[in-house]
Amino acid sequence: MLLEEFISKLEGEFDDMPKGTLQPDTDYRSIKGWSSMHALIIIAFVDINFNITLNGSDLKATKTVSDLYNLVQQKRPA
Amino acid sequence: MITGASSGIGQATAILCDSLGATVTITGRNESALKETAKELKNSSKIVVADLTSREQLTALVNKSGAVDGLVNCAGIVKPLPIKYIKQKNISEMFDANFSSSVLLCSELSNQKKINENASVIFISSVSAQHPYIGGSLYSASKAALEAFCRSFAIENAGKKIRANVVSPALVKTKIFTETELATSEEEMQKYESQYPLGFGEPVDVANCIAFLLSPASKWITGTTINMDGGLLLSSKK
Repeated sequence: MLLEEFISKLEGEFDDMPKGTLQPDTDYRSIKGWSSMHALIIIAFVDINFNITLNGSDLKATKTVSDLYNLVQQKRPA
Repeated sequence: MITGASSGIGQATAILCDSLGATVTITGRNESALKETAKELKNSSKIVVADLTSREQLTALVNKSGAVDGLVNCAGIVKPLPIKYIKQKNISEMFDANFSSSVLLCSELSNQKKINENASVIFISSVSAQHPYIGGSLYSASKAALEAFCRSFAIENAGKKIRANVVSPALVKTKIFTETELATSEEEMQKYESQYPLGFGEPVDVANCIAFLLSPASKWITGTTINMDGGLLLSSKK
């Protein structure tokens, strides 16, 4: 999955998020109304789409949307 | 017998009961972590590595065990999941670990007549069984089921003076807590803590309540749930 598709699908997971809200360099925790629910949605999104289980430490190490994407790429089996 | 004794509340309970003179059997999935718990124990103790979601391993644990005077069901998992992502496998995973394993352990011990008269059985629930949190639907439901089971267990076993009670803590500083903090943020956890008049709990706080419920000092208490929440529910009613 390319970065653009990753972003588009992730945006679709959040209710009421206008298209284009997420950009590669968006600090995702700075999204208006960010809460623990969003973190849970990201973990579930990655689990379902990539069969990768992210934990709190993994998320803590990321800041932007492209950090998240790169993390998923790193964790994908070769 | 203490399940989930490799960390957190189970570990604190094992250490406290041992210090109070009990002979404990500790069980959990992680052998090295169980051995760390065992290092803290002074009396003779038995370590049984077992994944209680495996019927074979559960039966093996009961086969190896003598009759117990106390059983503390601490084993369980937490895995937050928004409702829109729930699949059957998520329900099975949560209920196998948090509900079925405790139910089947009680059943197998009872069947083999390995719960002594006057014994005390404790189930660890969570205040979230009654007071939900976002992402915790399966966890809360599994704990609510466990609480309901405890009350049935209490009434079925009262004739033998076997007592059964639930301890229902709010946020306690365990590994699960640290993981939650990493997944959210330190600031968010501080915000949560501000809702606790007495702050977050420590594993030993819960262990102290468990020790009381295991002891004859609580011999007239059965089928009840003790909330331990540092005043959280009081403040939420303001």
